[in-house]
Amino acid sequence: MRFLSSLLLAAVATIAFASVPASATGVIKCDAGPASGWKSQETLTNKLTKEGWTVRKAKVDGGCYEVYGTTPEGDRVEAYFHPVTLEKLYVGRRGEVLFRKKGY
Amino acid sequence: MLRIILNNKKAFWALLCLPALFILQPYASGDLIAMDMLHPTGEWSARFMIAAMALSPLLSLLGPRPTLIWLIQRRRALGVAAFAYAVLHLVFYVIDMGNVDDMLAEFFALGIWTGWVAMLLFVPLALTSNDISMRALKAGWKRLQRMVYPVALLVLVHWIFIHNNLVPALVHFIPFLLLVAARFFLPRRPIFKGA
Repeated sequence: MRFLSSLLLAAVATIAFASVPASATGVIKCDAGPASGWKSQETLTNKLTKEGWTVRKAKVDGGCYEVYGTTPEGDRVEAYFHPVTLEKLYVGRRGEVLFRKKGY
Repeated sequence: MLRIILNNKKAFWALLCLPALFILQPYASGDLIAMDMLHPTGEWSARFMIAAMALSPLLSLLGPRPTLIWLIQRRRALGVAAFAYAVLHLVFYVIDMGNVDDMLAEFFALGIWTGWVAMLLFVPLALTSNDISMRALKAGWKRLQRMVYPVALLVLVHWIFIHNNLVPALVHFIPFLLLVAARFFLPRRPIFKGA
């Protein structure tokens, strides 16, 4: 019995190991409609660069644009932007919230 | 022939290097940046650590099964691999951050200092993972290596808070925690027949 339950445990662990999807972190969610109406990621990174940001990486997360980079003030952060308005919604540093737009 | 390769301890060390090759390949070819390396290196480090720690509870639950004995004879390699992947993890963190100011600015975030302390405590464990240290430290060696339990706890907190997501950390830790719990709550099986 104990052997069986351990086997089962091992099987569960193996399946779990193998099947973890790269999930969204989901700090912020955007309801911005279909992606065809979004501004391009490049537009956002160009805009940010002009404002003094250094963008290391940008991607879509939770329906928003998520940007890893350095703010004009020099903080290494993770920031979320609305994909249609490109408005800044959230700025955080390893989970510490530096800015959060009301309602998000 | 296969049996000879399988039972060669150096072959096991080589096997533990394999994930690193797959992880590093896209970085070497420029497809991924240092930031993208943090997750896979950290995850493999935690996996090897959990694997090494799970062997004793498995042995007390299952008794002396050949595969388990085979793995226990190679537990040192698993632990050292966990440390090596943690070092890789730290190296990529430093490359990604690029300067000390940025690292200091986030040092006190719960997801960050736990990683640093885990790394720091991991160093003496790795440095004493050899026969000379075992002989020199005698009973103290085991006490020292038990520090891997607080290290694992720090790693769990580090993982949860750096990722803003409980699931991947728990998927790795819950089976292990169940094993440890089972070891405490179920009667021990004798390790040797007749013992």
